[in-house]
Amino acid sequence: MSYRIRRIVPHVVLLVYVVIVLYPLLFVINASLKNNSEITTNPWGLPQQWYFENYTNALSNALFGRYFLNSLYISATATVLTILLSTALAFALTRMRFRRPGQLVYGFLLLSLLIPPASLLIPLYIMVKDVGLYNTPFALIVPYTTFGLPLTVFIIAAFLKSIPRELEEAGVVDGLSIYGVLGRVVIPLTMPTLVTVFILNFINHWNEFIMANLFLSTQQLRTLPVAIVAFADQFNMNYGALTASITISIVPVIIIYALLQKKIIEGVAAGSIKG
Amino acid sequence: MNRIFRNHTAFLLFVIPPLVLYAAFYILPLFRSLQYSMTSWNGINEPVFNGWDNFSKALSDEQFWIALKNNVYFVLFSVFIQVPVIIWISILVSGVRRWLEFYKITVYLPSILSTASVAVIWQFVYQPEAGLVNQLLKGLGLESWVRLWLGDPDTSMLAILVTNGWQWTGFYIVLVLAAIFAIPREILEAGTMDGATGWRKAWFLTVPLIRPVVIVVLLLSITGAMKALDIVLIMTNGGPFGSSEVMATYMYKQAYSYSDFGYANAISIIICLFTAIISLIFHLLTRVRRGADEL
Repeated sequence: MSYRIRRIVPHVVLLVYVVIVLYPLLFVINASLKNNSEITTNPWGLPQQWYFENYTNALSNALFGRYFLNSLYISATATVLTILLSTALAFALTRMRFRRPGQLVYGFLLLSLLIPPASLLIPLYIMVKDVGLYNTPFALIVPYTTFGLPLTVFIIAAFLKSIPRELEEAGVVDGLSIYGVLGRVVIPLTMPTLVTVFILNFINHWNEFIMANLFLSTQQLRTLPVAIVAFADQFNMNYGALTASITISIVPVIIIYALLQKKIIEGVAAGSIKG
Repeated sequence: MNRIFRNHTAFLLFVIPPLVLYAAFYILPLFRSLQYSMTSWNGINEPVFNGWDNFSKALSDEQFWIALKNNVYFVLFSVFIQVPVIIWISILVSGVRRWLEFYKITVYLPSILSTASVAVIWQFVYQPEAGLVNQLLKGLGLESWVRLWLGDPDTSMLAILVTNGWQWTGFYIVLVLAAIFAIPREILEAGTMDGATGWRKAWFLTVPLIRPVVIVVLLLSITGAMKALDIVLIMTNGGPFGSSEVMATYMYKQAYSYSDFGYANAISIIICLFTAIISLIFHLLTRVRRGADEL
């Protein structure tokens, strides 16, 4: 009996936790299918009358596809740039024979992890304006790439240290140049780690709000997080349209998560142990 | 062989571009912030040097102290409430055989959503009439508990902390779980044979074995609490009456609402110093503990 209880108690606690996680999401989605009066009179039940107008209302005054593409373009470009630069830098630091300058650069990167990006926001805003990037996609791509560098370099470097040098030396014996070693030996071996850092960076860029809100002023250029907040302000008292717009913004993310969850969770866990 | 791995051109080609970006968009802004922090500047006219004025202004600015105090709440809530919950839940999840994957996937879900979405979802959850919290209280007959969670100075900060906890707890659980599963099986089995079960096993065996990751989680939640900005900005904008203001939102407002870029930069330098000091103290404390263990 007591053994049985000991087996069940953890599940009870965990299920309560799962309800805390899921319930707010389901509550919002459920509300989005009701009309405004039913949201307050019948908060718990399923909609008595499915009310899809909320979605047409939310979509009709938004450029949702546009925001989606903006987010995709900016996040993907910044992620690819971060990974290209980080792989080259991590390779140079761990594999090439220049100890002194290598250690100096590594120390420089370590230092940066102490500086909270929030405290760089205002000087960065001024710089973005000064160099003429303000209100262009590059106002985000360049800082995202830069801010992604330190952690990405650390994760890739940690992995590179674990692969035996003999593999690279064999490549050299076969007549590869340094670029050949990087492109044909190191990158293929590092692929799983590169996928991990790709996911980590992409999620960060996709979700970033402050800079996206501050460094772009044209509505056409908005990214999804900025658009969602603007929605929420606009539909403040219109619960139906508000919850519909929240649903539109989270459902694609949840679908992508459902498809990729294994990779995402493994990536985060692996990144934490190696980083 | 050596010649190929000592290729100067390749080394420079690999190292220079990231370093240039890094210097231009990370280091340079930091120095410029330091420079602007000693000026009186509205962002348009020429900055006028005024020495330490902005810093002494912060010391006597009541609203700044409230913001700082809220950051301290944020840190304390993370360290003393969130982290123990994270460890507890992680140990529970690691012990179950059935539904392990299901728990892992659901618990992590909120961390995948953008802070903007999370903030907007919870604005609705705290909504006075239609929101989940008040509807729940009314359903339970606790009418007197119903309130404007985000609009009440007594509860606004707590409401934000709960939301932030909801978003990030699962992320850290996944980190801690990975560490627990990385513990060699023999060690845990040996502990069980010696009679360590349940809480004794968790406290005397599992927690010490995962200490490195617990330290990482603590450090990440402390620095996370120091840089909290978007969640507060979206949910309450620091209000009502500055009750949920944190240093970063106060900095943001000084720049973009009051056009006081000099003062805003001084606050950003203070945030930077504060974070560095906390990280340093933390680093020293964990090092001292480690040293003591080795004796």
